[in-house]
Amino acid sequence: MLLEIKNIRKVYKGKVKANDDISLSVDEGEIFGLLGPNGAGKTTLVNQVIGLAVPTSGSITLAGVNIIARPDYARELCSFQAQVQAPIAGLSSITAIELAGRIRGGKKAEVHKRAMELVEKLELGEWKKTLGLNVSGGVRRLVAFCMAAVVPGKVVILDEPTNDVDPLRRRAIWQEVQVLAKRGSAVLLVTHNVLEAERVVDRLAIIDQGKVKGMGTPASLKESEGDAMRLELILEPKAAEPSLPGYLKKPLVINRRVLADISPADVPAAIAWARNLKESGAIEEFYLGPSTLEDVYVRLVKNHDANGNHGKGI
Amino acid sequence: MLKWFRSYGLMLKWVYLSNRPWLMLNLAVQLGIAVAFIFGIGYFYPEITLSIGKYLTTGSPTIVLLTVGLVMVPQIIASMRSEGTFDYVWSLPVPRMAHIAADATNTFATMLPGILLSIILGKFHFGFDLQVSWLVIPAILLIASTATFAGYSLAFAVPKPMMINVITQLMIFFVMMFSPVMFPAEQLPGWLQAIHKVLPIQYMADLMRGTLTDIPVKLGMAFSMVGAWFVAGFACTYILVRRRK
Repeated sequence: MLLEIKNIRKVYKGKVKANDDISLSVDEGEIFGLLGPNGAGKTTLVNQVIGLAVPTSGSITLAGVNIIARPDYARELCSFQAQVQAPIAGLSSITAIELAGRIRGGKKAEVHKRAMELVEKLELGEWKKTLGLNVSGGVRRLVAFCMAAVVPGKVVILDEPTNDVDPLRRRAIWQEVQVLAKRGSAVLLVTHNVLEAERVVDRLAIIDQGKVKGMGTPASLKESEGDAMRLELILEPKAAEPSLPGYLKKPLVINRRVLADISPADVPAAIAWARNLKESGAIEEFYLGPSTLEDVYVRLVKNHDANGNHGKGI
Repeated sequence: MLKWFRSYGLMLKWVYLSNRPWLMLNLAVQLGIAVAFIFGIGYFYPEITLSIGKYLTTGSPTIVLLTVGLVMVPQIIASMRSEGTFDYVWSLPVPRMAHIAADATNTFATMLPGILLSIILGKFHFGFDLQVSWLVIPAILLIASTATFAGYSLAFAVPKPMMINVITQLMIFFVMMFSPVMFPAEQLPGWLQAIHKVLPIQYMADLMRGTLTDIPVKLGMAFSMVGAWFVAGFACTYILVRRRK
């Protein structure tokens, strides 16, 4: 494996355990997703890979080299899109991308060619010569992605690359991420966006409270849900939660959404029940479908937050 | 070493371009400070003798350099820290000191016009002949570097960036009011004179006086003391920027 993270613990002053015994590995050409709620410890983990933070214990090796002792080596081999906005207020988009490529050791002509290719693919032409301080947060994020992708490292680390980005350009980013992997980079992708990640990643880890709660391919993680289907109800605003029939298993309420598992045999009854609710005005809509990675995610990270930010079981 | 200089060159371009939108404003402030010190401080005195004029003329560049190093640099670094800029820049394959050196170079280039203007304005306004030694070049470089690296040390050592603004206000107040820059050290009470025997401020002012006028100063002593403070500031910065969270 190209990148090996073993038993990483990171305890900040005040004894906050940001990472608690995390182990994972990413190989060349693989897209590995790190999913988890805010404050789960994802950014802390990637900051330790890139050498911005140092683990309390554990080991990280990159191509066999201990990069905790050699953060300079990590920075040579990894290109990184940080969660914070890139400091490019005074730089035009194209200058920022080319300068990042040159800093990463690329030759001028090659960097220019690749930068223009990325600008075209992500449809950034309109803002090519606009200074960072005059573009929207989404465009700035796209430029930062290009800065990480223009001369990609053996490992490309992307921390929330699609934040603030419109849906069409998000697709373009995911396509480029796949191109990076096809060209041999290992991609470590941090995101909250479970549904988009499901389509892109080869493997993923779901992290919560500094611990790995589940790891594997999207399909293997979904297997844990069995052959269950998922019923989702969207309640009318301010409507009371309806009392649920017994065949709806493991129900979960997140704001106006009610999610529940249902076995295939109970589907006809459930549809009739949901239609009734809709006709009576208790719910706006309902959906029935196979379990998704989001279901796995929600179950793995639920029930720990006293504030109810991540949903509560009922 | 070649990589270090390549990184330095590219980061210099980055830093220059990043500051370019505010370059004119910065220059205007530097020039304004220079003018203010030459003309404004004069109002404190009922009559300006030649000796006072020399102190004001040579004190102004020192104040400009200290203002930039001890106030502007830490405040810029504080806002960069708050915005997470270093999380980005320091993830690049660039030696951190190459980035800091590029930033310091850019800062110095911004200061230079203000320094030159204050010297020229002072000479004509107070009407005396400068006696410029070639040592003025290393003197200005040393003062600027010492003030700037003291600024970096402060900016990276203070745990919360918000605290930096308060500390810099206090420091510049001390430099302007209680330091023998615009006036001779003998005018201060003994205990303040003793403090200034250790701090670099008086020696920085001495460097400017000794290399621009005939005011007698111990240049060797001044170079040694400011040099020692530069080494300390550089070492602190070197250690602080290599720290990992």
